[in-house]
Amino acid sequence: MENLLEIHGLHAGIAEREILKGIDLAVRPGQVHAIMGPNGAGKSTLGAVLAGRPDYTVTAGSVRYRGKDLLAMAPEERSWEGLFLSFQYPIEIPGVSLTNFMKAALSARRKHAGLPELSPAEFLRLLREKMAFVQMKSDFASRSVNVGFSGGEKKRNEIFQMAMLDPTLSILDETDSGLDVDALRIVADGVNRLRRPDNAAIVITHYKRLLEYIVPDVVHILKDGRIVRTGGPELVDLIEEKGFSEIDG
Amino acid sequence: MDKICILGRDALPGSLALRGGESLRLTLVALPGVSCEGVLTLDLNGPGCQVDLAGLYLCRGDENVRLQIRVLHHAGLCHSRQLFKGIVGGTARADFDGLIRVDPDAQKTEAYQEAHTILLSDQARISARPQLEIYADDVVCSHGATAGFLDPDEQFYMRSRGIPEAEARRLQMLSFLSPVLERLPEDLQKEITDAL
Repeated sequence: MENLLEIHGLHAGIAEREILKGIDLAVRPGQVHAIMGPNGAGKSTLGAVLAGRPDYTVTAGSVRYRGKDLLAMAPEERSWEGLFLSFQYPIEIPGVSLTNFMKAALSARRKHAGLPELSPAEFLRLLREKMAFVQMKSDFASRSVNVGFSGGEKKRNEIFQMAMLDPTLSILDETDSGLDVDALRIVADGVNRLRRPDNAAIVITHYKRLLEYIVPDVVHILKDGRIVRTGGPELVDLIEEKGFSEIDG
Repeated sequence: MDKICILGRDALPGSLALRGGESLRLTLVALPGVSCEGVLTLDLNGPGCQVDLAGLYLCRGDENVRLQIRVLHHAGLCHSRQLFKGIVGGTARADFDGLIRVDPDAQKTEAYQEAHTILLSDQARISARPQLEIYADDVVCSHGATAGFLDPDEQFYMRSRGIPEAEARRLQMLSFLSPVLERLPEDLQKEITDAL
C-alpha cells in the first residue's frame, strides 16, 4: 500500500539551532506509530514541523503527504488535507467560543473541499455528537476555547476537535501529559474509536502509560534528533526496562 | 449611570464629579477611520464611589487617537477600575495617558488601570503613559500597560485547525477586544467587528 507520510532526511530547527538531524519515517494508512524519547530529543519539534509551525525552519530533507509536498503547504492547507496536530499545551482563546472556533475551522475546510456550508442545525448536530463522543459537557460549546479548562478538559477538547475534523493523519503530541487515569482512558478511547483502515496516527509520548491504551503498530525511539531504533510494541517494554539512555541504534 | 460614548460623535464632558456612593459605568469607543480625542477627569468626591471605566480603540489607517484619563480619588472607600484595549495598524498613532491619583485622605481606595495595545504594523505607534500617584498608605492600586503583536502561537493553533490566516487574525483581534466589546450594544459590536 502507498505510504500516507514519507519523511526523508529531515533536518529542522529553530533560530539557528538544529533539533532534527536527519529523520526518516514512513507511515502507511491504518497504522499507529509511537515516537518515544527523552526530553529534548525533538519529539515535539517533529510534530510542530509536520503541522507547519512558522517559527521552525526546515534546512534539509523532504516530507511527502498523500503524495504531495507537505512542506510547501501553509498550516491551514495541511489541515484541509487531513493533517491534525493535538497540542501538548492547547492555547486559550478568550472571547472566542468553541462553537465559533469550530465553525470557522469547518467552514474553511468545507469551502476548500468544494462542499456547501453546513446549515446551523447540521453544524450543531455534529458538534453535539462529537462532544458526546469525548464525554464533554455541552456547556463547553459556548465557553471560550480552553479558557478555564482543566488540563484534562483541554486534552479532551483536542480530541473533540480531532473528531470534528476527522483527520487522515493525526499527530498526538504528549496527549497523555497531565491526565489522570479517567481522562487518559477517555482520550485514548476517543483516539481508538477514530482509528480506521484509511487513516493513521503518530503518538508522541514520553511514557509507556498511553501506549497501554493506544497500542501502536510501530515504535520509534528518538534521541538527539535522530530515530535510533524502530521496532514493534515490544520496544515499549524494553524502554521501560532499560530507560532511554541504554538504548542505541 | 451606564453610558457609552463614541468619541468624535458623542459629546464627552471633560470632567465628571461623583458624590459619595455614586457609581459610574462608562465605555469610550474610538471607531475605525476616525481621529479623535477623549479627555476625561473623574473626581471621586465622596466615600463609596464605584467607577467601571473601559475603552476601545481600533485604528488601522492613518488615524490619531488620544486618550487622557485622570481618575482622582479625593475620598476613601472608592473603587475604580479601568480597562483599555486598542488595536493600532497602518500608520495610525494612539496616545494613552492615564493617571490614578489617591489623595492623602482617600484611605481604603481600590484603583486599577490596564491599557493594552496590539500593533499590526511597523509604522503603527502607541505611546502609553500610565501613572500612579498615591499619597495614602492603606490602598490597593495597580496599573499595567502592554504593547505587543498578535500572538504567533495562538495564530498557529487556529491555522492548524484549518482556519485561514486572515480569519485567524480577525478572531485574534476579536478575542483581544472582547472584554470591552461585550459591554457594547450589538449594533455597535457589529460595526466594530465588521471593520476587523
